[in-house]
Amino acid sequence: MKNIFDTLLLTEIFQGLGITLKHLFKKKVTYKYPFEDTPIFPRFRGVQYIKTHENGATKCVGCYLCQKVCPSECIHIVTDCGPNGERLIRKYELDLSRCIYCGFCEEACPVDAVHMGRNYHTTDSTRDHYVINMKTLSENYKKELADAQAKGEQL
Amino acid sequence: MVTLKIDGIQVEVPKDYTILQAAEKAGVHIPVLCHDSRLNPFGACRVCLIEAVGNPRMMTACTTPVAPDMDILTNTEKLQRIRKTVIELLLVNHPLECPVCDKGGECTLQDLTYEVGLTKVRFDAKPADTPVDHTNPFIERDVDRCVLCGRCVRICDEVVNIQAISFINRGMETMIGTAFDQPWNCEFCGQCISVCPVGSLNNRVYLFKNRPWNLEKTDSVCGLCGCGCYIELETEGSELYRMGELPEKGANHGNLCAKGRFGFEFVNSVKRETSAKVRAAGELADADFDQAVVTVAEKVKSIRAQHGAEAVAVLVSPRLTNEEAFLANKLAKEVIGTGGMYALEPHSSLPEATYADIEKSDAVAVLNIDVTEANPILGLAVRAAARMNEAPLYVFYPSETALKRLAEKQFTGTPDEVYASMTRLVEGQGAEAAVLEVLKKAEKPVAVYNPYNTADLWFVSELKKQVPALKLAAARAKANSQGIVDMGALDAAKLKEGIQNKTIKALLCFGENPAVRTGWADLSLDSLELLAVTDPFMSETAKKASVYIPVATYAEKDGSFTSLEGRVQTVNRALCKGLKTDAEVVAALAARLGGSLPSCSCEVRELIRKEVPLYKEADFDGGVISYPYAVKGEFEKPAKAAAGEGAYFLYPSSLRLHSGSYTRWSPDLAKVYGEPKLEISPADAEALGLGDGDAVSVSAAGITKVFKVHVEKHMTKGCAALPEDYVDTAQIFSKGRYHKVSLGKKG
Ligand code: SF4
Ligand code: SF4
Ligand code: SF4
Ligand code: SF4
Ligand code: SF4
Ligand code: FES
Repeated sequence: MKNIFDTLLLTEIFQGLGITLKHLFKKKVTYKYPFEDTPIFPRFRGVQYIKTHENGATKCVGCYLCQKVCPSECIHIVTDCGPNGERLIRKYELDLSRCIYCGFCEEACPVDAVHMGRNYHTTDSTRDHYVINMKTLSENYKKELADAQAKGEQL
Repeated sequence: MVTLKIDGIQVEVPKDYTILQAAEKAGVHIPVLCHDSRLNPFGACRVCLIEAVGNPRMMTACTTPVAPDMDILTNTEKLQRIRKTVIELLLVNHPLECPVCDKGGECTLQDLTYEVGLTKVRFDAKPADTPVDHTNPFIERDVDRCVLCGRCVRICDEVVNIQAISFINRGMETMIGTAFDQPWNCEFCGQCISVCPVGSLNNRVYLFKNRPWNLEKTDSVCGLCGCGCYIELETEGSELYRMGELPEKGANHGNLCAKGRFGFEFVNSVKRETSAKVRAAGELADADFDQAVVTVAEKVKSIRAQHGAEAVAVLVSPRLTNEEAFLANKLAKEVIGTGGMYALEPHSSLPEATYADIEKSDAVAVLNIDVTEANPILGLAVRAAARMNEAPLYVFYPSETALKRLAEKQFTGTPDEVYASMTRLVEGQGAEAAVLEVLKKAEKPVAVYNPYNTADLWFVSELKKQVPALKLAAARAKANSQGIVDMGALDAAKLKEGIQNKTIKALLCFGENPAVRTGWADLSLDSLELLAVTDPFMSETAKKASVYIPVATYAEKDGSFTSLEGRVQTVNRALCKGLKTDAEVVAALAARLGGSLPSCSCEVRELIRKEVPLYKEADFDGGVISYPYAVKGEFEKPAKAAAGEGAYFLYPSSLRLHSGSYTRWSPDLAKVYGEPKLEISPADAEALGLGDGDAVSVSAAGITKVFKVHVEKHMTKGCAALPEDYVDTAQIFSKGRYHKVSLGKKG
């Protein structure tokens, strides 16, 4: 009997609409990526950055430890002897399309150079752009530094 | 024998053992820093301190000899504490730049710091900031990192016997250097680098190029000279980064020479050819491998059909492995149907003395060869005999050689005088009679000689008749000079004749470069209808080829080389550059010619065991072949060494930095010695008004060539020397090894 009533008066539908109505005025939970960023946790591991000294020179000394430790083999370093007999990094490449963001590279670095950043916007139309070099990694550092300073945080 | 206890383990050792050696035998590990098994005990670092029960003093295990019934403790709490302090003190003066230092990952000090568990140094570090010395072409020197263990000084003195470096100054000021801070002027063997436990002496060729944990290591044999040094090729991907030494393996005890240690860069050279070439309309044009092989095979077939199989000849070089040479022989004999393959290597002499024989010898004669230059590791064995065994050493050579400081007597002079001296030696006359007596009386006499010169063979065979106990060491020049002869290579005199009188129409030249070989450079190859050349580089001969195929170097192939000792050692492929090996070229050619030959080295090795009686029982991992004779044949007593009319004697000299045409492609060696130079004595230089680097023209046997001058105080007055295996010099020496030449200043 009740069933027939419910069916005739469409109570269930109104109940449902009621819930919708309720949620309509609640605080929303969906983020409109890429127009809006999702919040991330403090220890989130995003795209790497490499620290530079005050004079802009990279802190990385090309020791190959991150390359060695990386489980997905996405770091490729080429070093050489510079004109003044110093250790020179000819190439530092990181393939983000392979990286599993495990953070081992950060752990292994003996000179506090490579770090996991907070940026995770890596989508691109071509795979080639996933390989980033020392220049990008150093620029990432500048961005991260600016962001952190804006938020009053330490990097 | 002495019995003692080490950490409770009882061992019995000979009484001249040190506690360290006894501990090794007992399987107890004692940390060391300044000790090296190749060197005399020194006791500089105190890292190896141990305690003997009942003795309040601690002792250094590396220098203290064993005594009966000792009860040694190696790892007490007190020792651990002291060891820690020793390391701490070392670190006070040692800058902690491990991430940058090239030694990181293979540094003994780094390892010891971990081993003793040192995490915090109690003392303030006071590293000096002396600039790093980059002046040496092969050795980078950072004196601040030196821990004064003296290993470099000792190896340069005890093993290399050059004494190029020493401790200078005293106390806190002590450091490693040369007298009066002169630039390092030495053999550039790099032995000092290889023993330095920290990053104080570094290899400049490898400097900062890679890291030990990033490199793959492959045991192999150096492919340059005939010494057959056991090495470790260190690679990443298809790049060769470093030659490592393996003191525990191989007859060279981990010692290498400048070529082997620093000259390997030619393997990575961008000048290497990558594509086969076939001559079309007079020009060598790129072709694919199959096309090149087909071209050769078709031409061989047509020449064989027209002129018979004997019109096709195969020439192999000592860069080929035994397996490859064996296959080439099969290709010649069974597939093509000629008499066999040829090689520009002598047949009359075979290996006899091993390095161990020489090191243990009690009298050594070096006959007309600059052995430390030509075959550096054979040279080290001679030095060991004279230095460690105190064997009298007699050197016969036109100029003074590096053996000068060890030689009992040197017989120098013009080549004619040296030959006269050697004649008196074998005839037991004059001052040389005393030398013959010493050799006769010795229990284990040894003679080192140059097998490439038939005149010299007369002397050694005569000397051997006089001194039957004499063991001979033929200083063969190249990596597999011996092996290809063992694999049946024929004397190339017939080949030369065949090419000259045009009965040979096709030459398949595997790796050989006759255009720069003494005795061959004057031979015109233009009459050949087919000249097929394989070589990793576009060599002088390859430039004349009708078909050229680039091939792998020793680092890129499997097989074996037989050293001048007669030691057969396995060569392992360490990297791949995408090029065919000579074995693959031979197999492909055989297939096209209707035969079938394997190219895999293990298959071939089985065939060698079956078909080469000498190698029936051969141990390809360092076994020594026992040869039926050392010298054999009828040799004529040389009349006069030099022909010609000039005022100066010219003779071929050896160069430590180059052995033949391979090493010339090494950019690092070329930095030090890039082009052939004429060496003359200061007196002659003055008389001719010449200085270092001036151009001089050399006229001999109707050829005039211009070289740069190098004034060398060891040269005998009236003599001039030029290195072999350069196009210009080979042309001169092809007219005879010794000449009277006229020298003239140019420009
Ligand atoms: S985060 Fe992990 S996978 Fe990515 S580069 Fe670092 S070590 Fe490699
Ligand atoms: S571990 Fe650090 S210093 Fe070493 S190569 Fe990587 S980023 Fe550079
Ligand atoms: S390179 Fe050889 S000769 Fe020169 S100092 Fe070092 S050990 Fe001595
Ligand atoms: S340079 Fe190296 S081998 Fe020589 S004394 Fe110093 S630490 Fe020892
Ligand atoms: S060139 Fe000769 S002496 Fe030098 S490392 Fe090679 S095999 Fe040894
Ligand atoms: S290893 Fe014994 S004192 Fe250095």
